[in-house]
Amino acid sequence: MVPVNNEVTERQAVRVMRPESPRQAVSFAKRFRAPYIAGGTWLQPSCERDRQWPAQLVVLNPDWPAFRGIRETDGGLSIGALTTLDELAHHPLTALYLPPLNGLIKRVAGPGVRHLGTVGGNLLAGGDLSALALALDTEVDVVGGKGSNRRPLARWFLDRPVSDLLRSVTVPDCRGWRVSVEKLGYRERFSPTRATVACVHDGEQVQLGVCGEGGSGRLMVTEAMLRDEGIRELTDLAIVMDSELEALGWHDTRLRLAARRMLESGLMEVTRDA
Amino acid sequence: MSDHYQVPETPAQENISFELNGEAVTRSAPSAETLLDILRESGQITSARAGCRVGRCGACQVLLDGRAVPSCLVMAWQLPGHHVETVEGLNKDPDFLSVRDALASESALQCGYCTPGFAVSLVAGIRQRRQGSTVDLTESVAGNLCRCTGYGGLRRAIDQLSAPGCPDEADGQGASLSENQ
Amino acid sequence: MTHENPPGIAGNLTTLDGDSVRNSASKMDLTQRIEGRLAYATDQRHLPGLLYGAILRSACAHALITRVDISQALGMPGVHAVIKADDVPGLNRFGIVIRDQPVFCDERVRYEGDAIAAVAADTPEQARAALNAIEVDYQPLPVVSDAALAEQQIALHNSHEKHGGSNLLARETLECGDIDDAFARCAVVAEHQYQTPRQMHAFMETEGGVAIPDGKGGVLFRVGCQSGHRDAEQLADILGIPHEQVTVEAMATGGAFGGKDELTVQPAAGLLALKTGRPVMIHLDRFESCRTGIKRHPVSVKMTTGCDAAGRLLAHKVEAILDTGAYASLGPAVLENYLDHATAPLYRIEAYRVSGRLVYTNNGVCGAFRGFGGNQATFAVESQLDALAHSLGVEPAALRRINLRSPGDAGSRNQTVRWTAPPADVLTAAVASPLWSRHDTDTGRWLTGTGMAMGAQGNGLGDGLPDSGGGRISLSPAGRICVEFGFSDYGQNIVESITRSVCNGVGCRETDVEVALGSSRGPDSGPTSASRSSVLVHSVLASILPRWIGAVRGHAARLSGHPEEGLEFGPGGMFFNGRQVLSYRELAESASPDEMAASASRDFPVAPDSGQPVGRYLQLQIATVARVAVDRLTGRVRVTDLHHVTAAGRVIYPPGYLGQIEGAAVMGQGMALTEDMTTRDGSYLADNLDQYLIPTFHDAPLQRVDVLDDTPEDDPFPVRGVGELGIEAVAPAITAAIEAATGVRVRRLPVDPGDLLVAMAAKEQTL
Repeated sequence: MVPVNNEVTERQAVRVMRPESPRQAVSFAKRFRAPYIAGGTWLQPSCERDRQWPAQLVVLNPDWPAFRGIRETDGGLSIGALTTLDELAHHPLTALYLPPLNGLIKRVAGPGVRHLGTVGGNLLAGGDLSALALALDTEVDVVGGKGSNRRPLARWFLDRPVSDLLRSVTVPDCRGWRVSVEKLGYRERFSPTRATVACVHDGEQVQLGVCGEGGSGRLMVTEAMLRDEGIRELTDLAIVMDSELEALGWHDTRLRLAARRMLESGLMEVTRDA
Repeated sequence: MSDHYQVPETPAQENISFELNGEAVTRSAPSAETLLDILRESGQITSARAGCRVGRCGACQVLLDGRAVPSCLVMAWQLPGHHVETVEGLNKDPDFLSVRDALASESALQCGYCTPGFAVSLVAGIRQRRQGSTVDLTESVAGNLCRCTGYGGLRRAIDQLSAPGCPDEADGQGASLSENQ
Repeated sequence: MTHENPPGIAGNLTTLDGDSVRNSASKMDLTQRIEGRLAYATDQRHLPGLLYGAILRSACAHALITRVDISQALGMPGVHAVIKADDVPGLNRFGIVIRDQPVFCDERVRYEGDAIAAVAADTPEQARAALNAIEVDYQPLPVVSDAALAEQQIALHNSHEKHGGSNLLARETLECGDIDDAFARCAVVAEHQYQTPRQMHAFMETEGGVAIPDGKGGVLFRVGCQSGHRDAEQLADILGIPHEQVTVEAMATGGAFGGKDELTVQPAAGLLALKTGRPVMIHLDRFESCRTGIKRHPVSVKMTTGCDAAGRLLAHKVEAILDTGAYASLGPAVLENYLDHATAPLYRIEAYRVSGRLVYTNNGVCGAFRGFGGNQATFAVESQLDALAHSLGVEPAALRRINLRSPGDAGSRNQTVRWTAPPADVLTAAVASPLWSRHDTDTGRWLTGTGMAMGAQGNGLGDGLPDSGGGRISLSPAGRICVEFGFSDYGQNIVESITRSVCNGVGCRETDVEVALGSSRGPDSGPTSASRSSVLVHSVLASILPRWIGAVRGHAARLSGHPEEGLEFGPGGMFFNGRQVLSYRELAESASPDEMAASASRDFPVAPDSGQPVGRYLQLQIATVARVAVDRLTGRVRVTDLHHVTAAGRVIYPPGYLGQIEGAAVMGQGMALTEDMTTRDGSYLADNLDQYLIPTFHDAPLQRVDVLDDTPEDDPFPVRGVGELGIEAVAPAITAAIEAATGVRVRRLPVDPGDLLVAMAAKEQTL
């Protein structure tokens, strides 16, 4: 849940603040302990469900520089946090850098929600994109109380002040890498994720990300084992992967089995003939 | 330093100006009111319907700047400067008419409560296709739930709308390719 | 499209496909629906002086109420009335079979959807805000959450005389032959436990409508409902006013499937309307609908079934427990239908003992839902047949063929039965499905398999329930042929099929006919349920059309001077020698409306050899062939194809018939794969469509519906109702296909992909 003060029970009582700049947004968020809102496709359902709304919302403006759109930078591909999921899906640079996203995105929310929901919102809610973002060593550009800074997404997830404002994410130049991403939902479309797994092979090593019912994270121990021993010993790998998933919070053994098999299949795909 | 900012007055109620079915309208509404409720409050628009109020059923789907979105997830503050279309405003639109005729001839509905939402999603898909994108119309309705039909009639209607020589493809490549053969 | 019959089938086998739909779709009403112009009950916001009602629901699944204080709520802005139990002037109870559900609870709450108070205010927000200001003190009671243990736990209705002191609401046993002797002679016995889910109807329009006071103490209800007359009776008793002062007009309803059979918002809306003197709308949001609405009865059953070495079924024992939740609703009737279907009506079995118990728990409320207990039973019965076939090492279809009843046989309850085709022919057509011959060589990620199940279903309300219905035909002053029935329209194409029948019977065109439905002031047709409407419409029309045609023709002869014999009904009016001589309007203008009207009421046809309706007389059948793909990696199941063979009499309106079968089948697929309103301590774990996941377009399989019609010429009931048939055999067909793909038989629905995956992994290890 979004930590808020002054909750109200009806959305009609919510006051909407429109800051002029990202810095002012951060200041509002801190002062009123008010959540940010962009697409609102995640915040609204949870508020409707709890019949509890923040008294104030801080509206984010996609026209602020670098907050929306996709561009190539020295560091790779920079994606504005307020880029909608649909824009991400249809952008030519997405097809160039991340072709597997095309298959995944059809299974992320529904088409209507993808027009409203944003890349930043999806990542912050632990949505389907987080597995891939983690596996790709994505960096975040964050506006905080003390100015802007850049750091790895995985680290930011660990100790993120709620007033931190995500401006953009940057994935490394992954053209030519092998990327596999796979989602298990409850149904074929428009399902919450049960397990989404991503496998990335950058030509040298493999990186694994997961998100879903057991939480998001990187499988660093498994990656290390792959680096040291390759995937020759599948049984050992399965044991390591299983305990690493469990440590992350994946307590359902059956779901762990599914996630593991998806990861193994992804691994085969990205390491085939490599 | 941030404490020096003046907090602007932010009334919960504001005047919201947007375009509805081609006409400029201004409505007084709470900032976080849903577009769905703004539309239905007047009594003029009934085609957008509450099914879940969490954006997960598509019964309230409308076009926002030509894109199909669930109107229960669009808030009043997001509307100014944008154009909203509902099936009430689409009844002369050729894309809507071809969708309507396909749905009717394939008997793609039963209770009909979800149907305007499906129609809106299909119109958005056809417009996108008209602009040259490759569009799988079955993906356009992936966010619309129908509980009555089992989607059989919808599948047949989408087949009809995806066949070469469909209205929006008549001047384009689809028809000429088949003639050249 | 008629194609060549598989060998051995005498009846007419027709595929209902897109062509048969396009050639007959009636577009007028559909266009109105697509354009959003059809007014639903929850659209009526333009009524002058409309207030919005909201209902306070219990905060506990089971508790005593020690205090309800509405004083603060009364003073809230915009509030016009706040009412609770002592504001109910009449009977503070409702329920179709047993009136055991309070309109407002005053002493005790029994589930989280129980109503305690209601508010009417100028806006929905004000109404909700006032609900928050109502103070209720609860003294929690132990929650009865496990149906199997319910009879040993605190009784929910201890004041109720009939079942005082126990949560056992009903129990029933059907018996035939000497079961112990029959089991002793069995070569193979299969004994398994089966479980089916608490499925939610998930109609797209949640419960709602308006109550409009007439200023003279009466109330008009415009609501989504399934039985105007019955609702009007119950509402009059609640409001404490004479029945004549209550009118129910069923509006176009956004889906029902049984979930609007019981009263929903009507009692609170009616009371608030009388209290305020203004129209009151209540429209539950999805959260409230999930929490309060009726669900499908979850059934836990142990079945023991045996056959001899030749595969002949000898003995069948059933012990079922149905969880009805906090109130009876239609639970006792569901139990009866469950047991009827658990006797395996399609098959000859020498001896059976089929028993079931219906218990109260604090798990919501269960009641009517398409299939009505029948499909829950069929899931287990058909799975048992597959288990026996497996033990004997024979094809499941072969085992069925040995045991299927012949058209001349009595039914499973020893009653006379009217089939519309020999069951063996339905099986033959299903065995000929092209789905069986599709063999994927792919041994990669997806495991594919094909399976089949059969089902039988009777039309009509069932044992011991009074079942009759009437209708009326007249010529309106505007010259429209007006046909009235009491049924509700919730999308089942009833208007189109009535219109089609009238056009066929009279010889007029569709635009000459006007169908008026669902008014409690019109004819009482009984509830819109139990697949009974089509049969009654046909029976009633068969009675009134000849009389009406005679009356109109006689009148036309007098008016035109032409002889009666030469006058024909045609498009727009009466014809003589191919020339129109009178329009229907001219006819109408020349006589009083009553001169050209006919009405009749018909008892629902029951087996003629028994005074009480026992078992089902008008039987329908379906065989469903399912093809699935199971993901080796995750256990996820995709249903790729469903092929149904139905035998349900004559097809009146092809798009309606096809749509009912396809729609019911996907609903059954949802029950088989994803849908369950699970509870913990009496609380639902899902409360909206982002958590309760029904099939999307991309989950729905390709479907084919073949209609086998071999109805005997002399069958007086050649038209049957198909609203429920499509759900009957889907679930067991899917689990049979999963078994064909993976070797794992799933006996608990919905199929849990995790459990399936673990079982698949265990099989892989033993390979």
